[in-house]
Amino acid sequence: MAFVSELTRRPVTDVDGKRIGVLKDLIARPVGEFSHPVVNAIIVDSPGGDRAIPYSDLAALLSSAIPLRRPLKEIAPYELQEADIRLVQDVLDKQILDTDGARVVRVNDIELVRVNGHVIVSNVDIGVLGILRRIGLERLGRWAARRFKSDLSTGAISWDFVEPLVHDQFMRLKVPSSKLAELHPSDIAEIISDLSRDEHSDLLHKLDLKQLADTLEEVEPDFQANLIEHFPDEKVADVLEEMAPDEATDLLAELPNERRQGLLGLMERDEADEVRELLKYGEDTAGGLMTTEYIAVAPDLTAAQTIEHLRKAGEEAELIYYVYVVDAENHLLGVFSLSDLIVAQPETPITEFMHKRVVTVELDTKQDEVAQIVSKYNLIAVPVVDTENRLHGIVTADDALDGIIPTAWKKRLPHFFGARQ
Amino acid sequence: MTRAVAWIQQKWSRSRWIGRLVLLLSVFGPGTIAAMADNDAGGVATYSVAGATLGYAILFPLLIITILLGITQEMGMRLTLVTRRGLADLIREKHGVPVSLLIFGGLFVANLGTITTEFAAIRTVGGIFHIPAAPFLIGTVLIAFVFITRGNYKLTQTIMLVVSLFYLTYVISAVKSHPDWNLALTNLLYPHGVQWTERYVRNYLLIGMGVLGTTITPWGQFFISSFAFDKKIDQETLKYSQLETYWGAFLTDFFSFFMIVATASTLFSRGIPLTSGEQAAEAIRPFAGQLASELFAVGILAAAFMGLVIVPLSTAYAFSEFFGLSGSLDSDYQSSKTFYTLFMIQLVAAALITAIPGISLFHFAIATQTLNAMILPLVFYYLIKLASDRELMGSHANSSFQKSFTAWASVLIVIASALTVAAVLLGW
Repeated sequence: MAFVSELTRRPVTDVDGKRIGVLKDLIARPVGEFSHPVVNAIIVDSPGGDRAIPYSDLAALLSSAIPLRRPLKEIAPYELQEADIRLVQDVLDKQILDTDGARVVRVNDIELVRVNGHVIVSNVDIGVLGILRRIGLERLGRWAARRFKSDLSTGAISWDFVEPLVHDQFMRLKVPSSKLAELHPSDIAEIISDLSRDEHSDLLHKLDLKQLADTLEEVEPDFQANLIEHFPDEKVADVLEEMAPDEATDLLAELPNERRQGLLGLMERDEADEVRELLKYGEDTAGGLMTTEYIAVAPDLTAAQTIEHLRKAGEEAELIYYVYVVDAENHLLGVFSLSDLIVAQPETPITEFMHKRVVTVELDTKQDEVAQIVSKYNLIAVPVVDTENRLHGIVTADDALDGIIPTAWKKRLPHFFGARQ
Repeated sequence: MTRAVAWIQQKWSRSRWIGRLVLLLSVFGPGTIAAMADNDAGGVATYSVAGATLGYAILFPLLIITILLGITQEMGMRLTLVTRRGLADLIREKHGVPVSLLIFGGLFVANLGTITTEFAAIRTVGGIFHIPAAPFLIGTVLIAFVFITRGNYKLTQTIMLVVSLFYLTYVISAVKSHPDWNLALTNLLYPHGVQWTERYVRNYLLIGMGVLGTTITPWGQFFISSFAFDKKIDQETLKYSQLETYWGAFLTDFFSFFMIVATASTLFSRGIPLTSGEQAAEAIRPFAGQLASELFAVGILAAAFMGLVIVPLSTAYAFSEFFGLSGSLDSDYQSSKTFYTLFMIQLVAAALITAIPGISLFHFAIATQTLNAMILPLVFYYLIKLASDRELMGSHANSSFQKSFTAWASVLIVIASALTVAAVLLGW
């Protein structure tokens, strides 16, 4: 086992022991199905310029001096190929995507191992030890770790989980392999917020509509607007239809009026109408936060009939845990939960077990207050009513609490300085 | 303090347009924000000392400093917009771990000094209102922590607005104190009109470095680049962003100019030495009259708070860029923990240093800003190197003027630093 940081600057010597230069870089390439790249050549920094020497012409690589197997004159220089990765130039000190932890990290060192006469890239080191090794303090680090009984071995990520972001000048995400598609939308969202525009637009174009919609729901609205800025309108409209109406509304609210109207025109009528309704309310009020995809039933149903209704209507709703009971004018009469419903006898009228004193918020209730109510009464969602107690929508707990729970710190700064201008 | 706030409201309410003007002035782009934050409490203290101790002659470096500030901030902004990388990202990627550690270490120490200056200013305010130092400092640490976890744009805007209004009081005071405009303006071109005694020259060097160090800060260089990156500003708007950074540089030194003129014409010309907050407040008496002390206190409190939030943020940003600890969902708690720890360590350490009896805001400010100025050449070296790299920047690489001006300025700063250190150590 050896580290790239230790190999660089090591002398490379000719067959007669004469020094011809120092090791500058290692070239590796994945072979077949095997995901760990194999070192194919080294680049030597010599007085006459850089030389690429094939691995097969080296007598040894993982040694204190690197001797050649044949006289330098006889060696044909290695030709770089498309799939080649230059470990120092392209990977060391650069950011990579750790698909296992779903995060963007910086490479502090690269670990090599010898397998069957080949040298392969086994792990990348993203830990503190890697940093210390680079400045010659690895032993001190290990000593301190033993002393304070902390575990420093967590810094290694197997190359299986590495997606190098690098290749040309502006790091570009290599076509996301199947690895990316398996990530949870909120993980993708997190990765996107770590990437630059070129990289994330690459990534977004690879996702299907459903994934794209789910991912967008996970990022802040102002950033959403930024992400879809260069998408064609038709595609955005399709994505908006996929999204929950409240999320779609937040996104639309961030766009310039002209584009917003255009997009609403392209969306299917029902969905567009719901969004138009929601757009009327302030972003941080219950009206702005609510979704219209809730379950409401008439008071004359029985438990069995309601369950039947849920089977049909439940698909569309954002939340079916609460069932709201409303009259013909949509006045809120009561509420019951799914568990109330299940334990009731099939023929019991729902008015018998519904709760008549419903905790509600008004359309213009501030988000802070909604959040307080949700947490005080331990609700999963709270109904939003107007002054005449007509039901307009529900605010789910996660939407209510979203604004008051501190998010990842990197996202905070723009909030201080005018992301919402 | 509420008396002063009410007074501000009453004074400005009839002229709402001034408020709008100030808002307009601070079209909060990265350039303007970095520029406003450059004039933090430490900045006000430094300019006050400069004006009070040296008079109009210290206005001379201001013009060069403005140009240098504009050029270097623009470089950092362009570097980020073109490469889509922060300054710290690029230093790490192109120059490796040892250089990154060295620069981060320097930045950390300098920033700690700057934050301490902010706390010293807060303690000075406590002195003006006779509030005991310990609870006041602890309270500030807590408020800063709440602000960083729960703060929002509106609150920041309010603080920025208070600070801008405070700076405006210097402009009006400077005009009302009937300074010798001829002397002030000609001093921008060449320093004159004072007795060049040995003591004066020594102070001139030391405080001149302080003025440089508070206007062009290492953290400002990293901040503008992180900020441009995080706000995801477009490369298409490069031209606009460049203009905006130059505007920010002008704005910083526009206010610095009037702060120095106001203190020079009220304190220096009457031979009043600057040792306390009350004396520093004299500079705005021509405008504020009876309420000079209170207004000074409110203004410097806002300025200190702004620095208190932005400077540790810039450290945390640089740390995450250098060592790649960006956020992730899996380790969300972990990465926020790193951030909050880093943020709090700086605040608490700075508050503790401030609590040491006998530390004067004005002395400490000068010392810190001098340290800032000394780290600058190192940061400039990498900034110039990266922004001149054709491979990296393509057609956006530095022009030969940008390159040579900054390079020569760095050489000058190195010489001036050496002289200052010599002057302090040898007791000239």
